[in-house]
Amino acid sequence: MEIIIGFFNAIKGLFESSGIMTLNWQNYVMIGISIVLLYLAIKKQYEPLLLLPIAFGMLLVNLYPAIMNPPTVELLTADQCAEQSISIAGHAQRVIDGVTYYENPTYGGLLYYLYQGVKLGIYPPLIFLGIGCMTDFGPLIANPKSLILGAAAQIGIFVTFTGAIFLGFTESEAGAIGIIGGADGPTAIYVTTKLAPHLLGSIAIAAYSYMALVPIIQPPIMKMLTTEKERKVVMEQLRPVSKLEKIMFPIIVVILIAIFLPDAAPLVGMLMLGNLFKESGVVERIAKAAQNELMNIITIFLGVTVGATASGQNFLSWSTIKIIVLGLIAFSMGTAFGVLFGKLMYKFSGGKVNPLIGSAGVSAVPMAARVSQKVGQEANPGNFLLMHAMGPNVAGVIGSAVAAGVLLNVVGH
Amino acid sequence: MYLVSLTEAASIAGELTLVERWIASAKVILTGFVVVFSMLFLLIGIIKLYSFIVMKVQDKTSVQKQKKDKVSQSKDSLKKSQVKPVPVLSDPSTAEDGLSEEIVAVIAAAVASTYGGKGRVKIKSIKKSGGRSAWANAGVLENTRPF
Repeated sequence: MEIIIGFFNAIKGLFESSGIMTLNWQNYVMIGISIVLLYLAIKKQYEPLLLLPIAFGMLLVNLYPAIMNPPTVELLTADQCAEQSISIAGHAQRVIDGVTYYENPTYGGLLYYLYQGVKLGIYPPLIFLGIGCMTDFGPLIANPKSLILGAAAQIGIFVTFTGAIFLGFTESEAGAIGIIGGADGPTAIYVTTKLAPHLLGSIAIAAYSYMALVPIIQPPIMKMLTTEKERKVVMEQLRPVSKLEKIMFPIIVVILIAIFLPDAAPLVGMLMLGNLFKESGVVERIAKAAQNELMNIITIFLGVTVGATASGQNFLSWSTIKIIVLGLIAFSMGTAFGVLFGKLMYKFSGGKVNPLIGSAGVSAVPMAARVSQKVGQEANPGNFLLMHAMGPNVAGVIGSAVAAGVLLNVVGH
Repeated sequence: MYLVSLTEAASIAGELTLVERWIASAKVILTGFVVVFSMLFLLIGIIKLYSFIVMKVQDKTSVQKQKKDKVSQSKDSLKKSQVKPVPVLSDPSTAEDGLSEEIVAVIAAAVASTYGGKGRVKIKSIKKSGGRSAWANAGVLENTRPF
């Protein structure tokens, strides 16, 4: 009889601690959303490298919320410690109302520890290190004017900041939301962890979703703002860039930006270090490790833990809907301002610049440049804009890091 | 200074009034616009400057190198003349109008080099392909391969 009662109690205990009893409706909605995101990542291949771990992190945290729990200290009496076979040796004591309690530390969830790399701003700069190793700044050095387009595409960030302020967000929150317009995942995460960590899940998911949707969002804006004649412009071939110029570039950029805008130094510094690894040609092993093994490991940790911040209670709110709408506005504005400045360059250069390359100023490397190429070829099949668009595209990475530095400085301090 | 402290105080208080929202927005837009553009304009200037210097220095060194190469080429010319030519039969009469014999010879040499020097290669006709030249295509492929 005792065995049967013990068996039923065990089953009852298991049932009570199971998700069926502990999860609420928000968790179930989030499980559904995460499955949709997994579908988009696997079937539609929308930024799968990040969307897949993000969606799975989201799934995990909503199935088992304790996986993100921080470590705590529970107070136990000597008797309770004995009952649970906990050794009291070395545990700090606390006397409350004449009763002596022992501080028994409990460990946090797995993803809580991995999340510290996001919270402390470690992962995004390390991702930038890998990006630096993979980025060729040659097109930018060959045509430095494309930096103007990289700057113009950041205007969307600041305009969206205004929208967010008027929708009731605080300055810090508005800064974090605006950065979605930079279309740069690591930068968006970095800024959000510093300015509004409670919005991290929503902002990261909005940023990566829009980056995945670049080929859908950008072309209508680009076509709307340009004429057929402008889209047909064939640009002159870029000059070859020497190795010395490529080696000097990261050193000069990091000196300049770290001196004038120290808040952007972690991101730009790591980006340029990675690029120097690549261009110097003397640390090939390190460059390969940074762009492959290190970046892949960090991508897994970053994706899963950012997804794990999207628990039902945090994510399902009006704020998330507003963030998703504002993110789209930020992204569209960035594209529009890039194209409009491209038009200005078209006018001032006497028709030598194709305005379509302006839309690539919104980072999202190299997808945004590919979109410029594709839209350009629709107008003129013999046109080849990819290398010209890579200039503003990599300039956008630097531009969004500078914009992040401005936001951290102005609203973060 | 007053504007900054006003918005900071409002942020601490939580809710912003309409005027404070305008002030906060204007502050960020103005600062962002000015700083991002000035940083990137500064970068443009610096890139142009150092690219100019690097190109000048490299031009000088390449001129010196060319002079050295000319000297060494004249020394090697005797040795090169002893190398047997690859047996290639070309028929310039079938080539497209406007192609000099030298061009035909260059193409024949390229074909012979591609297929190896032992076999006999005969050029029957040379036609210009439409659109981008082969060199331009090769350049485009080389430049766009990483992306």
